[in-house]
Amino acid sequence: MTQVILGQVLNGIIVGTLYGIIALGVTLTFGITGIVNFALGQFMMIGAYAAWHLTDVAHLPYPISVALAVLIAGLAGFLSDRALFQFTRNNLVNGLLVSIGLISIIESGALLLFTATPKNMDFVLSGSWTLDTITISRMKVVTFAVLLAVIALTWLALANTWLGRATRAYAQNPEAAMLMGVKTEMLQVGVSVYSCALAGIGGALYAGIYSLEPSMGALFILKGVEAAILAGVGNLAGALVGGIILGITESIGALFLPTAFRDAYGLVFLVAILLFRPSGLFGGQK
Amino acid sequence: MFLEVDALSKRFGGLVAVAAISLQIEEGEIVGILGPNGSGKTTLLNLLAGLLTPSSGTILWQGRDISGTKPDLIAALGIVKTFQNPQLFAELSVLEHVMIAGHLALKRLLGFARSKTIFAPKSARQELEARAERVLRLCRLSEGAQRPAAALSYGEEKMLGVAMAMMCEPKLLLLDEPASGLGQAEITNLGAVLRDLREHGTTLCIIDHKVAFLAEFAHRLIALQNGNKIADGTAQEVLGNQSVISAYLGRQHVGA
Amino acid sequence: MSAAWLLIPLYLVPLVSHNEVLLTILIFTYILGILAIGFNIVFGYAGQLTMFHGAAFGIGGYATFLILSKLGISFWLAMLPMFALVLILSMLVGWVCFKFRLREFYFAVVTLAFAELIRLVVLNWNDVTNGTLGLLVLDKPTIWWPGGGVIKIDGTVPWYLMTLTALGAVTVASQLIVRSWIGRNFAAIRLNEELAQTLGINTFRYKMLAFTISNLFAALAGALFGFYSNYIEPAQLSITQSLDAIAMVLLGGMGSILGPVVGAFLLTGLPHVIEFSAELRAATYGAILILVILLMPRGVVGLFSRWRHVS
Repeated sequence: MTQVILGQVLNGIIVGTLYGIIALGVTLTFGITGIVNFALGQFMMIGAYAAWHLTDVAHLPYPISVALAVLIAGLAGFLSDRALFQFTRNNLVNGLLVSIGLISIIESGALLLFTATPKNMDFVLSGSWTLDTITISRMKVVTFAVLLAVIALTWLALANTWLGRATRAYAQNPEAAMLMGVKTEMLQVGVSVYSCALAGIGGALYAGIYSLEPSMGALFILKGVEAAILAGVGNLAGALVGGIILGITESIGALFLPTAFRDAYGLVFLVAILLFRPSGLFGGQK
Repeated sequence: MFLEVDALSKRFGGLVAVAAISLQIEEGEIVGILGPNGSGKTTLLNLLAGLLTPSSGTILWQGRDISGTKPDLIAALGIVKTFQNPQLFAELSVLEHVMIAGHLALKRLLGFARSKTIFAPKSARQELEARAERVLRLCRLSEGAQRPAAALSYGEEKMLGVAMAMMCEPKLLLLDEPASGLGQAEITNLGAVLRDLREHGTTLCIIDHKVAFLAEFAHRLIALQNGNKIADGTAQEVLGNQSVISAYLGRQHVGA
Repeated sequence: MSAAWLLIPLYLVPLVSHNEVLLTILIFTYILGILAIGFNIVFGYAGQLTMFHGAAFGIGGYATFLILSKLGISFWLAMLPMFALVLILSMLVGWVCFKFRLREFYFAVVTLAFAELIRLVVLNWNDVTNGTLGLLVLDKPTIWWPGGGVIKIDGTVPWYLMTLTALGAVTVASQLIVRSWIGRNFAAIRLNEELAQTLGINTFRYKMLAFTISNLFAALAGALFGFYSNYIEPAQLSITQSLDAIAMVLLGGMGSILGPVVGAFLLTGLPHVIEFSAELRAATYGAILILVILLMPRGVVGLFSRWRHVS
């Protein structure tokens, strides 16, 4: 029995890391621009479908596909920022509604291009590692490692580089940062694009493990928001942990409760955290 | 005892904005509060009005502990505050502002029946409108009362804030720098309004930098510095106080 | 009462036109218009962005039908316990949200979470709700008509007249609320909540009131919808349902009582004018939402009027 649970925990960690990368995007954007881009899940989907298409249809090597997918997602993020979000910077509600509208457009686009039939990528990295009686696919481990690296690098960059410090300064006091010469508009665009790129890499790696459907975007943004709020919005390191907690809870829950409940855990966490510990488990901004 | 504040403190993280301030205000008094920027004046008023919760200490209003009570309840109990930077309802007209501010007055006119009626009976509405007219006339805002409030000048916006506060029929009116940014004519008008309030028995607590203005109206002055109360007495006493002088003018001027 | 008068000429439409398609579009317009008007009250007037009305809409349909079938009572009688249920749910969710002073984004997210939880319950409680398959509704509302006794509302014209009347009642109620001191307080909360509080307005109570009203209207619309389309399914509880209502309100314009109905008409009629695949329809709604927010924040009706009055 413990093997089953352990196996589920490991699966939960992998899924949770995917939630975590979206949560990181959510928390970054919210912390810096005050707006949540609900369409982040769609950019993850863009990354996923791009990676799938480039690998299985264009027959590019997987790592190249991932890199290109990230670029594509980032570019899409840039375009949507220039076309839409730059006009809603000061109005949170409008920004929210615009991002919701964007979701429909992107998801419909995916449905038209790829149909609702799930797409499965041919095995990129087959085989698995076994420890005792626990088996975990290599692809999942690689995914975990890569995402962990990306999150760690992001965190380090924010802590140590000039750009990172400027970003954090802006998050704390926008006016002061502006007065000190930080190019705030560029920062906003940059954060927006970066979070889309993060979502893109999450999607590209997701494509290597799970099957793709256009509806995945909506699912992941909800989980990402839940994880971010669970950890504390604005807390970057916490985003990953929040995601993993959520992932593990869902996986373990699947063992004991009907699968119908899977999405309920995150929702319950969300409500409970906002009521009893609004700044999140690890303390965020609000 | 009308208002009694006991060892009231407010901390924001590491910053102590208000440090164990104790004071009392008697009914019908006019108390002026002065102090350099950052001395905690506005924070003190925000605490009294319920916009902030005290970190420690108590506020007793007519014998009742109101520390941590919500602003709307405090307003219903009779304490109303105006804002240093005029707060308005964008889009709405001047008249609509004072009509909204008549909410408490309307509640009192209708009594418990309020929750049963969507319509206020005609008599109540007329009463409210009459009061609104009177308040606007006093504050020199009756001309163009249909104008959107956004079209008002800065001084008029501040007077609108006072007008709205007056509609609430406050027992204790807290004014946060009502004269700042006002021209001479407007200050005279404000003085007339304050005199009218005094005649109606409203207790006033005024923050301002214009010491002469305060000294003219106030029975008593309280001086703050860095969140502490450094003087409390008549205008003469407080303005002659060395710590007050050095607080305002800087230490090198002590004894000058 | 000016907005309600505008609806009166619409009673003549069935006399003038026998076009089934037009009448059907109008019926759905009136039903969804009720949903949209409700959302306009809590968002357009009181300024609270909620995602709960979709759930209320679905509950309206499910609860009315289930109560009607289990208890064997009429449509209208079944609505009473349904309204009580929606009232209780609103007060629970509203209390949770407003007591903990959730603002804007967090309020939207928590109402969304509650709505989703409710949808999941409905989706999985197969014994009662038949899960994804939904429920077939064959019962009809009945009314007593002088000279005819009790008749069933069946067929396009009776439904047209009934839904129009329901819309009229909702419009009148909304006008009364919005033009009263309650409506003034809603506007005050929307425009400057802190100032409203210092003036003695109990913002918690008024936000609860607006939220509850919006959900009750949504539930009424949901009941009418389910019984008219003869089908109740979990999708009627979804976020998409909430978003459709939001799009209608934004498109029509938030500054007036009937603006949302105009939006409902445009969005209901659109698929009949332009042939859409399901995917394209969703994309179009999204595009409309974006275009309205960026270019036409006052909506269609806002293009024709100046600034709105409070009271």
